[in-house]
Amino acid sequence: MNRVKSPQDMGAGLLFIFIGSVGIWFGKDLTYGSARAMGPGYFPIWLSSIIIVMGLICLVRAAVLQGDPIDRIPLRPILCVFAGVLAFGYLIETIRLELALILLTAISTQARSDTNQKQMLILAVAMALASVFVLVVVLGQAMPTYTSDYMSGFLSKIWSLFGLARGK
Amino acid sequence: MDFNMFQNLLTGFVAAGTVQNVGFAMIGCMVGTLIGVLPGIGPIPTLAMLLPITFGLDPLSSLIMMAGIYYGAQYGGSTTSILVNMPGESSSVVTCIDGYQMARRGRAGSALAVAALGSFFAGCVGTIFIAGFGPPLASFAQKFNSPDYFSLMVLGLVTAVILAQGSVLKAITVIIIGLFFGLVGTDVNSGATRYTFGISSLWDGIDFLPMVIGMFGLVEIIRNLESDSLDREPISTNMRDLWPTKAEFKEAIPSALRGTALGSLLGILPGGGAVLASFAAYTVEKKVVRNPSFAFGKGAIQGVAGPEAANNAAAQTSFIPLLTLGLPSNPIMAIMMGAMMIQGIQPGSAVMTSNPDLFWGLVASMWIGNAMLVIINLPLVGMWVKLLQVPYRLLYPAIIMFCCIGVYSSNSEPSQLLVMVVFAAFGYILIRFGCEPAPMILGFILGPLMEENLRRSMVLSRGDPMIFLQRPISATLLGLTACVVLLIVLPSFRKTREEAFKE
Repeated sequence: MNRVKSPQDMGAGLLFIFIGSVGIWFGKDLTYGSARAMGPGYFPIWLSSIIIVMGLICLVRAAVLQGDPIDRIPLRPILCVFAGVLAFGYLIETIRLELALILLTAISTQARSDTNQKQMLILAVAMALASVFVLVVVLGQAMPTYTSDYMSGFLSKIWSLFGLARGK
Repeated sequence: MDFNMFQNLLTGFVAAGTVQNVGFAMIGCMVGTLIGVLPGIGPIPTLAMLLPITFGLDPLSSLIMMAGIYYGAQYGGSTTSILVNMPGESSSVVTCIDGYQMARRGRAGSALAVAALGSFFAGCVGTIFIAGFGPPLASFAQKFNSPDYFSLMVLGLVTAVILAQGSVLKAITVIIIGLFFGLVGTDVNSGATRYTFGISSLWDGIDFLPMVIGMFGLVEIIRNLESDSLDREPISTNMRDLWPTKAEFKEAIPSALRGTALGSLLGILPGGGAVLASFAAYTVEKKVVRNPSFAFGKGAIQGVAGPEAANNAAAQTSFIPLLTLGLPSNPIMAIMMGAMMIQGIQPGSAVMTSNPDLFWGLVASMWIGNAMLVIINLPLVGMWVKLLQVPYRLLYPAIIMFCCIGVYSSNSEPSQLLVMVVFAAFGYILIRFGCEPAPMILGFILGPLMEENLRRSMVLSRGDPMIFLQRPISATLLGLTACVVLLIVLPSFRKTREEAFKE
């Protein structure tokens, strides 16, 4: 292990080789064609090969040149932010925008250990309501919300007062 | 020629001067500044995150708004540099050096005013530059054929490497990975689907919006969350100090003029742009100014005026290669190009002839945007300072929410958010491995174009790669590329480049 002088270069090298290999592996079924008549596989295979070569050079450098260590990767913020975003995306159609936004904030604010839970909850509810108001009532965006269900008749009446047809 | 230029500009002002478009320019500058002053968020994440709000507009309005967001974000970056010593982006790193020192001795208002007025002047010159250089360059570009375009893109991508932080080798590879990602989806020529892994939402390629928001917006948030102290106390500014003194003006004006000239020229170069311009301007100021009343690094006003004028001039003129050649010279222009393509416009020499209202309207809107910045920013400095005091723990959930809504509303597909997360993870890993993710966007945008031009060139030459050296334009461009490569490899240049990034 102590052969690696530059962990960052090694990581990058391995990543590049991985991407290049994926490119070649999944590109091998595409028609390669020839320089004169390039098939859909021609350019991607070339690019993938160059990426692999670059990756190999990175690996050589990692063994030869002194470089920076890879900084510690704190998992908590990454996992919380990603989990919040994915929960939002995959639940919005079931639990609607209002609850999805509250859930998003509730999950993503766990990214820091010093989060004040009560404050977070107030923030989540307030921001969710504010954005639903802006999106649905002001901008008339078509999004799955409870608000638009309950208020659609009411809203269209208000808009028609101004001679406007908004939303869906 | 001159007469034409003014007539063209007039066309532009008519198109851009409608109440609606001026309104969008103003909203763009406002929200751009709003997001741009937030700590640690530079123009790239700002543009990425605000891209969805321009979708519903017609092409000209949306481009005007994007341009406004860009200037706003850039100016917002200068504000944070001066007030909290926190550059939102690399082009205002140099502004920190003397700007923050000026703020510390109580001249924050003056520094902000010089930055704003210098930027405005530079913006005006930059606009005239585009109006003057755009048409000849575009008509020259009409002579370009596929091999020339291919070589031009090679030159653009290689020069972009100079500006990427960290190792050249990694930067080049990241760009090539971008080219590769750009090819995902249905091949226009054969109809074959490439690298879609059976996922139907990848048939049209990787979606631009969730990709850039993930790679720049989310990554930025995660990186900010990692640091322990998120909040910084901004220096209090007093509105009364806003106007620079006569002596300060006398020192700042020549610097702003030099910065403007340098920035306008450096902005046109492929690979150039605001970052290069501001670093170069600072170096020039340090060499040229003999005895400043305050030494450089101790709050010299020249160190604010020069780079600020230069980065704004370059921000304008870097539109020239995009609008005339279809070549984005830096990642910001790549996002602009993405926005244009989403609107159904293929940037290039054809825009000026087929869509003069759009071209000249955009040029005119640059001037409008710059004027707007001065009008909005100077009186509102107090408000931006207040915004800096909003604790980050309240800010970041709002930004994440904004990203999610933006991505979801552009195309109501849950998979879009997955794309966003995947690219956030990818961008994060790149940074941890010492690669800067921004150049990838350039490759991503140019990938399909490069493939198409390579294919056509090869058909023209019946598979002979010598065609790139036989055509004079292409050969010249490749020659330039070779010079740039030599420059990068040359040890002495390498040293100055590394030093520039350290500062």
